[in-house]
Amino acid sequence: MLSRSLGASETSPSAGSTPAPFTASGPPAAADPQWRRTGPSRRTFLQLAGLGAATAALAGCTSTGASGATQIRFFQNKPEVIGYFGELVEAYNSSQNRIRVTHDSSPTSLVAQIVRGAPPDLALYNYNLETSTYVARGVLSDLASLPETSRIRPDVQALVTQYATYQGQTNVLPYSITAAGVIYNKTIFADNGVEVPTTWPEMLAACQSFSDAGVTPVYSTYKDVWTLSQGLFDYSGGGSVDVAEFYKKLKNEGANILPDSPTTFENTFGGAVDRMLQVASFSNPDAPARAYADGNLAFGSGEAAMYMQGPWAFSEIEKVNPNLDLGTFPLPMKDDADNRVRVNLDLSLWIPQGSQNKSAARQFLSHLMQPDIQDAYNSDNLAYSPNNNPIAVTDPRIAELQPYVDEGLFYQGPNTYIPPTIPIGNYLQEAVISGDGTEFLRTLDSDWRRLAVRTS
Amino acid sequence: MTTFAPTPVEVHTEAPHVEPPVKTKLVKWHGERADATSYIFLLPAVILFTLFITLPALIGMIYSVTDYVGFGDSKFIGLANFQALFSDPRILSAYAFTIGFSLISVVLVNIIALALAIGLNSKIAWKSGLRGIFFIPMVISGIVIAYVFNFLFSNSLPTLATSLNIPFLQSSILANENLAWIAIVIVTVWQSVPSMMIVYLAGLLAIPGEVYEAGSLDGATKWRSFTSITLPLMVGYVVINTVLGFKNFLNAYDIIVGLTNGGPGTSTFSVAMTIFTGFTSGDYAYQMANAVVFFIVTVVVSLLQLRLIKGREMSL
Repeated sequence: MLSRSLGASETSPSAGSTPAPFTASGPPAAADPQWRRTGPSRRTFLQLAGLGAATAALAGCTSTGASGATQIRFFQNKPEVIGYFGELVEAYNSSQNRIRVTHDSSPTSLVAQIVRGAPPDLALYNYNLETSTYVARGVLSDLASLPETSRIRPDVQALVTQYATYQGQTNVLPYSITAAGVIYNKTIFADNGVEVPTTWPEMLAACQSFSDAGVTPVYSTYKDVWTLSQGLFDYSGGGSVDVAEFYKKLKNEGANILPDSPTTFENTFGGAVDRMLQVASFSNPDAPARAYADGNLAFGSGEAAMYMQGPWAFSEIEKVNPNLDLGTFPLPMKDDADNRVRVNLDLSLWIPQGSQNKSAARQFLSHLMQPDIQDAYNSDNLAYSPNNNPIAVTDPRIAELQPYVDEGLFYQGPNTYIPPTIPIGNYLQEAVISGDGTEFLRTLDSDWRRLAVRTS
Repeated sequence: MTTFAPTPVEVHTEAPHVEPPVKTKLVKWHGERADATSYIFLLPAVILFTLFITLPALIGMIYSVTDYVGFGDSKFIGLANFQALFSDPRILSAYAFTIGFSLISVVLVNIIALALAIGLNSKIAWKSGLRGIFFIPMVISGIVIAYVFNFLFSNSLPTLATSLNIPFLQSSILANENLAWIAIVIVTVWQSVPSMMIVYLAGLLAIPGEVYEAGSLDGATKWRSFTSITLPLMVGYVVINTVLGFKNFLNAYDIIVGLTNGGPGTSTFSVAMTIFTGFTSGDYAYQMANAVVFFIVTVVVSLLQLRLIKGREMSL
């Protein structure tokens, strides 16, 4: 998939003759890889070249309004919760008259706003590799002095710096964490007398017993390559490798990595990919021709025991069958029960340096981070809170991940550290179809080296 | 796809020579006198073209020798991007795929379009109705077509093949690394035939009936009049369709995105798709370099084609 929901604003490069691509299988509801594709479009760049005049007009929007209240633009466009935050903004505006918040939920690209010097005053946005480039380039202001910063768990704040840092500042405040693992059908597990696996041998045995009983152990959707990178690959990689540590070393070595260095994809992820391919072999036979939407339909119809998806899939599965008894467990990759869950900072707050009204933006940020508002959001949206002493999640579909999140046993998916210029999803598709994991990892290594040469 | 007037009409202004009003400024150009009004008519197009096509293209070329990521600072890095480009197997295989795909498509589209045009130009019942039906693919957006065919290839075709017991079609050809390109060619050809068919129909209508009559009096068979009358008189149209078609196919994007999105693996990544990744991945300058190379390739290929076919044109 090139574009997800937000990518709908992108235009194809064959200028004019083709329409904007949109997603075939629909966007996953919450979080994740689809956010990566929301970069600037070609159209945006053309506009930059041509519409300088409009820029000046837009820049004027953020200043003080006629009423005397400070106008700030709040950028939040995660499709599923636009209504939620719209109400929140409205309530805030009517509760006081010093700050007037405008809720900008347009799917426009952030890069373009930053380039033309008119960034939003406050953004509540997915934190990923793309957003982290704003941090790395010093586009965002330092929020370390805010009292709210101290409430955030250090191990969650570390997720921000794993992608990028700028002069030791705190530029991004995590707001909502999505935790993902293997979604499983409790009824099918019980019917076949299979317990939730906690070690690699148990995982293999579980797959084998489903397979022997004629039940599809894992439903896979190779056609939508992002489902492979965020699911099978991230779960198996994150379950066996210290992801943050690996990428830290990899970045330090830059273009100098040699094939025999321990810090290569081949030498680090070899075992993980080998096991990933074993899990993949328990998939439905038509997996190469199945997409995300097909997966939700099949899993919702009880056609398989396990499904490598995140909590965003629940709302889709619910549409098929709202009464399924589902749960989530981290994919066990080690021989002993030492498991971790995949997390991502689904929403995080930041204030750009270019904002003209930083103090008003900070006030609204503090308002959003009031424990009752933030906790309410997270428990309403199948998400975990990044703060100390959060309220526990109650939804049984994700509750099993709570202990892992509480104890900090989590990682950001290894695929999320890889810039989209390396089409890891496509490489994975090739790997699971051909069964050749070594070739896949070697391709990653050589692509990474080439990227390091030209970006260092 | 834009349809151009097949043969440029030579405008000779001297024929009905009207003395221009005194105040109109006359411009001398290659011995022909052009009215200032012509330039006024041209001006909006020139301005828009410069502003939205030429200027951004030039800016892109400048970025191709920097390390620009899309925003923030950048510095001049010379030809490093180009160097990296030529050692990137993914980029090279995208070029190989795109050029191969374009070659096959342009040949198939031209053959099918010409055959259909001749069929629809002969004396058959329901002529205009049939023309309308064959015209439909052209007015549907490429991405819509691609998604519909995606469903057909992934679900309908395997089901059909299973019930007819054709083993090699029973799994989706989109999921087969060696066959996925065939699906892309099929859909591209299906979509592109109408626009080329129109050009050929126009060309056929321009051939006077007397030529065929004379041919048949001399005892020419249908095939002989096709090879000796129709084809030579249509070469101009073939040139247009080949050059424009090839250029369009080189830009292949939406149909591939809708069908395979470059997969399985990276077997169907087109050059345009790799360029587009630059916008989202902080690889802006690198892909700008790719775009510059691609531009040169397109220009060279088009000039080559024009040169090859030039001089074989015939007129009555």
